[in-house]
Amino acid sequence: MTKFSVIKQRSLWWSISAVIILAGIASMAISTAQLGAPLRPGLDFVGGTRLQVELDCTVPGNCDEPIELAEVREVLNEQDLGNSTIQRIGSAQQGLTIRTKTLDVEQRSQLQKALSERIGEFDPAATQIDTVGPIIGQQLFTSGLLALLVSFAGILVYLSFRFQFDYAFLAFIALLHDVLVTLGIFSILGLVQGVEVDSLFVVALLTIIGFSVNDTVVIYDRIREVIAKHPDQHIDQIVDDAINQTLTRSINTTLTTVLTLVSIFLFGGETLKYFALALIVGFIAGAYSSIFVASTLLAFWRERTGQTKATQVIEAEFLDKA
Amino acid sequence: MQRQRSLVALILVLIILAIVVLVKIPLQQGLDLRGGAQLTIQVKTTEEITEIAPDQLEAVKTVVDRRVNALGVSESQVQTIGSDQILVQLPGVNDPQQAERVLGGTAQLDFRKQIPGTEAQLQIEQQLRQQLLFEQAALLESEEGGDQEEEAIAENQAALERSNAAIAELFEKTNVTGKNLKDAFAQPTQAGNGWQVAIRFDAEGGQGFAELTRDLAGTGRSIGIFLDDSLISAPTVGPEYAETGISGGSAVITGNFDVQRASDLAAQLKGGSLPLPVEIVENRTVGATLGRDSIQSSVYAAIGGLILVLLFMAIYYRLPGLIADVALSIYALLTLAAFALIGVTLTLPGIAGFILSIGMAVDANVLIFERTREELREGKTLYRSVESGFYRAFSSILDSNLTTLIACAALFWLGSGLVKGFAVTLGIGVVISMFTALTCTRTFMLLLVLSFPGVRQKPQLFCPNLSPSQ
Repeated sequence: MTKFSVIKQRSLWWSISAVIILAGIASMAISTAQLGAPLRPGLDFVGGTRLQVELDCTVPGNCDEPIELAEVREVLNEQDLGNSTIQRIGSAQQGLTIRTKTLDVEQRSQLQKALSERIGEFDPAATQIDTVGPIIGQQLFTSGLLALLVSFAGILVYLSFRFQFDYAFLAFIALLHDVLVTLGIFSILGLVQGVEVDSLFVVALLTIIGFSVNDTVVIYDRIREVIAKHPDQHIDQIVDDAINQTLTRSINTTLTTVLTLVSIFLFGGETLKYFALALIVGFIAGAYSSIFVASTLLAFWRERTGQTKATQVIEAEFLDKA
Repeated sequence: MQRQRSLVALILVLIILAIVVLVKIPLQQGLDLRGGAQLTIQVKTTEEITEIAPDQLEAVKTVVDRRVNALGVSESQVQTIGSDQILVQLPGVNDPQQAERVLGGTAQLDFRKQIPGTEAQLQIEQQLRQQLLFEQAALLESEEGGDQEEEAIAENQAALERSNAAIAELFEKTNVTGKNLKDAFAQPTQAGNGWQVAIRFDAEGGQGFAELTRDLAGTGRSIGIFLDDSLISAPTVGPEYAETGISGGSAVITGNFDVQRASDLAAQLKGGSLPLPVEIVENRTVGATLGRDSIQSSVYAAIGGLILVLLFMAIYYRLPGLIADVALSIYALLTLAAFALIGVTLTLPGIAGFILSIGMAVDANVLIFERTREELREGKTLYRSVESGFYRAFSSILDSNLTTLIACAALFWLGSGLVKGFAVTLGIGVVISMFTALTCTRTFMLLLVLSFPGVRQKPQLFCPNLSPSQ
C-alpha cells in the first residue's frame, strides 16, 4: 500500500477548511444583515402558519391546469396576508404551500375557504397545517441550542476522561469545524435557495457531532496505539501511520452512511430531504476533519509544546519529579 | 466451540422472539405518518392566578380530556408538558378546525334571570343585534375587499360587542352554571328543520333551574343562556310551570343552530368551563394520505439505502461482508422488535434515526474487518486474526458509540416531541448495533472459521491480495 502523508501538506488541508468556513461565516454575516439571523429560520423558530394544500384530483377538471400563482397572491392580499411566501409543489403543480404569520382557527379556515372558492376543491387528506406560536418557536430554539451545548460538554468530558485533555480539546476543534461547515453551507443555501432551518436541523447538527467525534476517536485510538508500540517515533510519523491504517475504514464508513442518506435525499419524503442533506454535508466534513484536521492539529500541537516523542514526555515528567 | 453453539442458540431465540413481537405488537406510527392533528395548548395565567400550580394544570387537562372525548376521536392522547402546557394528539382527525375551536374555546356557560321591566328593551336590543349580525355576515361574504370594507367589519364588530354588553345588563346572574351540567348533546328540533342542544343538570343544577323557571313562568321575562357573556338563547317559560318550575333537570337550548354549531356547542358545554384561559400555540396537522405518501417514500428510501450498503459490504469485504449482511439483517429485525416492545412511536425523524443507526452498525463491522485484515497481513492465522480483530476494534467501537449515545441523551433530555423520537430510535439502534456486531458477527465468523477447514485454509476469502509470503 502506498503511504499517504497528511502531515506534509497540512497547510493545504487547513486552507481548504479555512476557506469553506470563512465563506460560511461571510454568508452568515450577510444573512444576519438581510434576514436578521445567520441562517434562514424556519417556522419552528420564528412561529407562523404554514398551510399546504393539494387540489382534489378526483373532482373532474380540478387538476387540469397548474395553480395560477397570481390568483393565490390576490386571495392573500384580500386577506391582508400580502407578505406571505407562496410555493407551488407537486409534479403537476397542483399543490400549494403558503407561509404566513400565525393565524388562528377562524383566520385560517377563512383563508382555506377563500382559496378553494377561487382555485378549486382541495383534498383534506392531503392537507398539512403547521402553526407555531412565537412562544413555542422560542422554546424550540432554546432547547435545541441547549441540547447542542450539553452534548458538546458531555463529549468533551468523556474524551478528556478516555484520552488526555489535549486530545479532547482538539477533537472538540474538529467538531466545531464540522458544525461550522454545515452551518455555513446551509447559510449559503438559505441565501441562494431559500432553504430554511427547523428543529430537524438541530437534530442533524447533534447527530453530526456524534458521528464526527466517532471518526476522530477511532483515529486518536489508533494514534495512541501506535505510540504505545513505537514510543520513540516522531509524532508526525505516528500520525501518518495511524491515518494510513484507518483510512480505509474512515472512507468505507462514511461511504456506507452517506449512501443511505443520498437515497433518503433523493427518494425520501419532502420533510427529510434537507435533514438528509445536512447530514451528508456534516458527515463528509466530519470524515475530512478527523483525517486532515484533528490529526494534523495534534501533531502540530505536540511539536509546539515539544512533546514530539512519547519517551520525552515520560522523561520530562521524571525530571519534574526529581 | 461450545460457547459459539450456545450463542447461536441465543441468537436464534432472539430472532424468533423478535418475529413474534413484530407479529403480535404492531409498530406505533406517529401522527406525521398516519395523519392527524397535534395541538399544543398553552395555559395562561390571570390577574387572580399569577402562577399555575400542578393541580390547576391537571384540572385544565381534565377539562381538555373531556372535550377531546366529546370530539369522538379514537386513540387520542392528552398529556401535560412542563408546567404550563398540554399536548393533545388526535390521530386521523380530518377536521382540525373543529378540534381547535372546541379545545381552544373558553366557553363559560351560565343561566341568568331577566330583570323585571326590561322586556321591551330586550326586544329592541335583540333586534338591533340581529341586524348587526346580518350586516356582519353580508360584509364577510362580500367580494369587494379593501381597507374600507375592513373598517366596516371592525366597526360592526365593535357595535356587536356593545350590543352584547347592553343585553347582558338586562339579566342577573343565578347560581346555575356550566359546572352543574351533566350532559349536553345535539339533536334535531322537533319541527325537524334545525338543530338544538339538549342539556341535563346534576341535582343541584336541576333544583336551581326549577327555581329559576318557576320565578319566570308566565311573566314574559326570559331565561338568559349565556356563553362567554354573550346571549345565545332567551327562551321564555310558559305559565303552566308557575307552581313547580321545570323540574327533572333537563332542558333544551334552541337557537339558529346548524348541525355543526350545535355539536360544537354541545362539546364545549360538556367540556365544562376551564379554570384558566388557554390558547392553542402550536398545531401540526398532517392529512392522512400525505402521511402515507411520506412513509412510503421514506421506507423505499430506507430499503434502497440498506440494499446499497449490503451490496457494498459483500463486494468489498467478501465472505465477512456476507456475514456482516446477515448480522445487519438481524440487527434491523431486533431493533424494530425493540421499538414495538418499548412502544416507541415511529415518526419520520424516528425512521431517519433508524436508518442512521444502520450506518453505525455497519461501522462496527468495518472496524472489525479492517483490523482482521491487518492481522492477516501481519501473517497471523485466520482464527487468531479474527479474534484479535474483534479484541482490538472493541475500544474504538465502544468510544464511538458512547459519544453518539451522549448526543442522544442530550437530544432526549432537552428535545421536544419529534426530536425525542429521533433520539430514542438512534439510541436503541446504537446499543443493539453494538450487541449484533460483537455477538452475531463474531459468533458467525468464528463458527465459520472453526467448523470449515476449507475456509481456514483460504484466508484470502477474508482479505484479497494477501500474498502468502507476508
